[in-house]
Amino acid sequence: MSEQTIAATQTSSSRDGVRTSGSRTWKYSSREAIDAARGGVWAWLFQRVTAGVLVWGLGSHLIATHIYALGELSYGNIGHRLTAAYFIVVDIALLAAAVYHALNGIRMVVLDYWFKTASSRRGLAVVLWFFGLASFVYGMWALWPWITK
Amino acid sequence: MAGKDRQTANVGAGNWKGLGMWAWLLFRISGLVVAGYLFVHIVIISTGRLSGASSLDSIFRSFDKPLFVVLDLLLVWAIIFHAFNGVRVVLMDLGIGIGRHKAVFIGAMAVAVVSLAFFAVKAFEFLGWG
Repeated sequence: MSEQTIAATQTSSSRDGVRTSGSRTWKYSSREAIDAARGGVWAWLFQRVTAGVLVWGLGSHLIATHIYALGELSYGNIGHRLTAAYFIVVDIALLAAAVYHALNGIRMVVLDYWFKTASSRRGLAVVLWFFGLASFVYGMWALWPWITK
Repeated sequence: MAGKDRQTANVGAGNWKGLGMWAWLLFRISGLVVAGYLFVHIVIISTGRLSGASSLDSIFRSFDKPLFVVLDLLLVWAIIFHAFNGVRVVLMDLGIGIGRHKAVFIGAMAVAVVSLAFFAVKAFEFLGWG
């Protein structure tokens, strides 16, 4: 694609507040066009905040499980790891940050192809929030016997 | 306005365009794979409370098979690629290295390759291939 073609495509897709996908066309206000393309400014910020938590938390998790305790994976070993306050903080922060980051990431991919209306995007967000909170609560329930042991 | 935006978006382009497409595509694929694994991970770990320590331990024992060790290593690679490409994306958001897309990407990938080599050595040692 030439530079001119790219510029023309971009101009007609988001800047004019009109998006096309196949034979369908949607009209947007400029605010909606930005939300549709980027998923909202708070989600953008939280995605980066949780990314920072994940670099620290998942780094700790992977080094603990794959470098120091490779081949020692067991119920008892997890319990031993979770006697350390540091890893209780890591595991809980990791659960919350990973669920948010994963579901918002899936949402960003999905928004590139589907959910072109503002109301359907809100519906998607509500469903993902319910699923995410349920996943966090279930994950905490699963970790609880180790944390409180 | 449109022209100005386009110029900004393409600063430092050139060879970056083809490479940037791969960075974007692999970022997406690795993200979706790791996101999918996260929920499998939560379900498997919850077996500990749901069905007891011994059933979780028997699942863990099956993960010692070479197939699962290799799959696990691939998963770690996906996480490390996603993490370091993510650091690059955040640097671009902060305006750091916008004129040097390709150099920053290659730098991030160099750090990623070194760290995933550590995990590969550990996995191969465990399998007795090292």
